Amino acid sequence: MPPTTVTVAPGLSSFLKSLKNTPVDSSIEHFIALLKRRQIRNSRPCAIATTQLLLRVVAEFKFRDVDKLLRRVREVGQRLIAAQPREMVVGNIVRRVLGLIREVAEDDAEVDTNAISDIGNSPVPLQSEFPRPTLASSMSTFSPLRYGSTSMDSSLHQSESMSDQGELPHRPPLLTSHTSYSVPNAPMVTSLFGLFSHPDSPSASSTPTGYNSPNGKGTLTAQNLERLSESTSSKANIKAEVQEGIKELMDELEQSDDLIAANALDHIHSNEIILTHSASTSVQKFLLAAAKKRKFTVVHAEAHPNDHHATHAMTLTGTKRDYDDDSDAEDRWKPLTAAGITVVMIPDSHVFAIMSRVNKVILATHTVLANGGLVAAAGARVIAKAAKVHQTPVVVVSGVYKLSPVYPFDIEELIEYGDAGNVVPYEDGDFVDKVDVDNPLYDYVPADLVDLYITNLGGHAPSYLYRIVADHYRVEDINL
Amino acid sequence: MASHPTSSPPPFDIVQTYQRLLASDPEVTMPVAAIEALVESLAHSSASTMSETLTLVSQHTATLKQAIPNPISLSAGTDLFQRYLITTLNRSTAPTSLSPDDEFRTIRNHLLSNGRLIVENAKASREKIASIGRNFVRDGKTVLTIGGSRVVGTLLRAAAEAAGGRSNIRFRVIYVLPQNSSAHKTSAAKPQTGREDEGSGEGAAMVAMLRARGVPVATIPDSAVAYSLAKFDMVIVGAEGVVENGGIISRMGTYQIGLLAKAKGKPFYVAAESHKFVRLFPLSQYDLPIKQRVIEFRVGEDAEIESSEQMRTFDAEASGTTRTERSGSTPEDAVDYTPPELISAIVTECGVQTPSAVSEELIKIWF
Repeated sequence: MPPTTVTVAPGLSSFLKSLKNTPVDSSIEHFIALLKRRQIRNSRPCAIATTQLLLRVVAEFKFRDVDKLLRRVREVGQRLIAAQPREMVVGNIVRRVLGLIREVAEDDAEVDTNAISDIGNSPVPLQSEFPRPTLASSMSTFSPLRYGSTSMDSSLHQSESMSDQGELPHRPPLLTSHTSYSVPNAPMVTSLFGLFSHPDSPSASSTPTGYNSPNGKGTLTAQNLERLSESTSSKANIKAEVQEGIKELMDELEQSDDLIAANALDHIHSNEIILTHSASTSVQKFLLAAAKKRKFTVVHAEAHPNDHHATHAMTLTGTKRDYDDDSDAEDRWKPLTAAGITVVMIPDSHVFAIMSRVNKVILATHTVLANGGLVAAAGARVIAKAAKVHQTPVVVVSGVYKLSPVYPFDIEELIEYGDAGNVVPYEDGDFVDKVDVDNPLYDYVPADLVDLYITNLGGHAPSYLYRIVADHYRVEDINL
Repeated sequence: MASHPTSSPPPFDIVQTYQRLLASDPEVTMPVAAIEALVESLAHSSASTMSETLTLVSQHTATLKQAIPNPISLSAGTDLFQRYLITTLNRSTAPTSLSPDDEFRTIRNHLLSNGRLIVENAKASREKIASIGRNFVRDGKTVLTIGGSRVVGTLLRAAAEAAGGRSNIRFRVIYVLPQNSSAHKTSAAKPQTGREDEGSGEGAAMVAMLRARGVPVATIPDSAVAYSLAKFDMVIVGAEGVVENGGIISRMGTYQIGLLAKAKGKPFYVAAESHKFVRLFPLSQYDLPIKQRVIEFRVGEDAEIESSEQMRTFDAEASGTTRTERSGSTPEDAVDYTPPELISAIVTECGVQTPSAVSEELIKIWF
């Protein structure tokens, strides 16, 4: 798609090219291989590749059954996540697509429920078979980052086996509470009333959920869902709608930087000194947007030893040199210096010394986590901590697609270690023999070191991120 | 009000019902018992309209709150019940074709026939919390906890039992047992009553339970928390109530642990079911709507009175009298308020939430 030079090495662009004329399954394998070999890396390329791949998966999907589609996407997603669990963006996109499919299916069901409106009042003989396909995540645990509430799964299976026997008196209330989340604008609404819920009783399962849907959008009760899989088999447009939605997701990926940059003037003022770190297109666009109107100084920590080449390239040319040449090729960004901004490049070790003069720290991120913490290029935590000591505000710039619903139970597992040769070249035999060299690629920055997140939706406090997570992901998809 | 034929010879006593429910099942928490008691009160009444029912419920709630020395936790349950009734009954845009009367009857019947279900739901949510929260307990970590919260007990048990699962998790527990309850200084001491509060008796039971599962447990007094700071990695506590700003009301001593944990940068997690969310917004320790005689200034001549009072308290406990008769100010019952900035996360059955998520949940049911 880009008119620029075609890279020979396999990467995002070659993958995207091959996507069009390769069967889906080999494309999946291809992507998995690329992920494993780290030939597609970093959030944006991973997000783009995942989105494109899932678009293909949906397009190739033969059946009209929503449940089968969900299962298929989930299964593909699990394999992708297992291939590279630390690229959490992959999981995010998969969850977004799953949520999208559910939403489309529910909009459709709304029409259906009008047609079969008495479904909640009928004695519901359907319940005895009750497949509950969307929730039964019986897949094995692939990802080391997966902290599923396994007992939920087990209780699900238990209740399934119970329902096979046709005895349902004390089904745990999981089902109702889960489906009640599924109105995208009002997730978790009935959670406090979950205590009273009873899947067996028509009044309970339809009552609270109906009340809580703000725009009158009928939520899916279990029965509806059951009915859904039958009734929607006649609906051919679901697939088209899902594809449309995935394309919108791609638009979001493309536009998120520009939307973030639109906030720049609110945060960067004249003659300020801004400290940033590592090479990030989001930050670059953010700074450039401010540079159109204001003059300020940028202090750029170079992120040695992993990202300093990209950082230098970014400072000189405006794009990361080795950046995959697809997304920003058409709009050649000028370097900041061309916009009349003074750029000071410093090694990471100078951050603390210079922090007292800095007015604001703007950080890029790899992944934002549900608790408000973030994973960013190594060195980010030092910067955030130094900023905290100097009471300098820390602003994190990130597209919503980087926001992961995964709660970081163990931070150690999030950190990826890279090539130690970047720190000490392997030619230095003496060194390599005698000293252990570590090269962590990422840092975990806890939520209390961050003052503000700027996403394509606007600015948010770290403590508010849970809300955005709830808006974008379905509870039933969080543990894939 | 029009509570006409409720003149059945033994009039329904909400307080007794509540206490009977609490005593009958040690797994039942205060809010759930309160809800159950209210459901039973519905069963005993013949209220047939919504406003009658609501009046009845609020009357009973008031009685109950008055009779129980610390009604914060149970008020979470009664409030929730009331909101549930109002919202479900008020729904004018009901998609169902039922008449309001039928609607009312349906809900009433649903509640009456499913009193047990509420308890089951509450237990299920506790299990759910345990299954989420046990992920916090990683291999080689040491957890500090206080109080006999059943949620924390379930959580730690789940973590202990996960040994056979994904990975073999070896963790240790430092259990803060209150110093002043002499009976529980040694963990071997049996809990003297099946008391329902986050009582220290249960703490001992939990210690025994964990030790039986091969988890090394150390018990320390309140005063040794700071001393032990370097030895634990995280704090997991339960809560009697989770207030609107995300802070928690929990047994006395939790706040200081929170402060110490914050000072040392240790994560402080709260495990609490969402039915413990209570609509209070305390700004300080002394804003709680209960009387606690914790700080009492005295001069010389009061000392005798104090000691005699203490004697009476202990006598009352020894003779196994119920909570109501004990004054609400006994040190074992005292609670404190831990502000949200000390809390890293609240584990509810809906997942791990930041303290700021609590207000949203509450707003959703109230407005």
